[in-house]
Amino acid sequence: MAARSVLKSVCTSLAGLKLGASGSNVSALQRINVPQLSALTIQSRGIRQVVEKQEGKTTTVEGRSVEVPAGPQPPNPTAKCPIYRWNLQHKYNYTDVLLLSQFIRSDGGMLPRKITGLCAEEHRKIAVCVQMAHRAGLLPDHRPKLPEGHVPKKAKPQLNRVNQAIWLHLLECHHSVHPGSQ
Amino acid sequence: MSSFTRSAQQWATFARSWFVIDARMQPPGKIATMCSVRLQGKHKPIYHALSDCGDHVVVINTKHIAFSGNKWEQKVYSSHTGYPGGFKQVTAAQLHQKDPKAIVKLAVYGMLPKNLHRRTMMQRLHIFADDELPEDIRANLTEELAQPRKIPRKLSEYTQEEIDAFPRLWTPYKNYRFENPQQMFRQQYHL
Repeated sequence: MAARSVLKSVCTSLAGLKLGASGSNVSALQRINVPQLSALTIQSRGIRQVVEKQEGKTTTVEGRSVEVPAGPQPPNPTAKCPIYRWNLQHKYNYTDVLLLSQFIRSDGGMLPRKITGLCAEEHRKIAVCVQMAHRAGLLPDHRPKLPEGHVPKKAKPQLNRVNQAIWLHLLECHHSVHPGSQ
Repeated sequence: MSSFTRSAQQWATFARSWFVIDARMQPPGKIATMCSVRLQGKHKPIYHALSDCGDHVVVINTKHIAFSGNKWEQKVYSSHTGYPGGFKQVTAAQLHQKDPKAIVKLAVYGMLPKNLHRRTMMQRLHIFADDELPEDIRANLTEELAQPRKIPRKLSEYTQEEIDAFPRLWTPYKNYRFENPQQMFRQQYHL
């Protein structure tokens, strides 16, 4: 399971007095060549590439939607929930920030379940893990936006927090039917 | 070691070593157990309580210590000045603000045996709030101990290649509105 090996290799720590080379071996997944875009529109109707054509006296400026290259195929494509599609049911933790960051907004909140397609339990588990990751300070760029001109009254002391790894499968209530098996 | 001369073997067995521990993002209790074991000399096969075989331990970066749970707000350090009405209680956060070395010092003090040797062992413990050491201590250091807890990586510490190599688990439907283009770009491109 390529995703699992990526997750494992990605969870190496940076312990030690001198932070030497992290030695993370991210492997096993193919690199996809992303075509360079000439213009990236801010509007959200998909990415379009601006194409200019000159035919005599008429210039046609067209926005063509870029064809998205196929990414790596999930091992279980028939499942409904993305976690079950990639067989990551009991394999993630609050430290797997690369996984969790795909389901959060830029201010740190969770994306709605109807958009991401997660099933209810996995959505809850990911929400719990995201909360733990925020508390441990692993998502420093996903902070809520403060209104402009807001000056904090007193600089809050920065206290580091440690989370104890929880076994998520012990938390979830017992259920016999898995969405992936349908 | 059998290849050592007698004097070298004697030196290796009985010399007092200097250990250094980095307490960055570590729970102070775990740091304290490691310190107390080495201050008493219990990591040596020649240990005896009366034979003064403890080593020196230097703890650095104690101001970056990390408690689990809500201990910063809930753990209380109490003391009494001896005068009536002199019972003082401070939370771990307040104590850390006042003196960043105190939490580790009190933790180690509580873990050492409660006898007269404790004070000498505490004199052999050197705590520093950041990683600046005086030259004479730095010259004495012999071994660095591994940190008891693996520090998880922050999202900002991952390189762009690692982020790109991780597969996108879900793609949004065609006209979904993201707040910023970078998020949309990453999701669209199945990277």
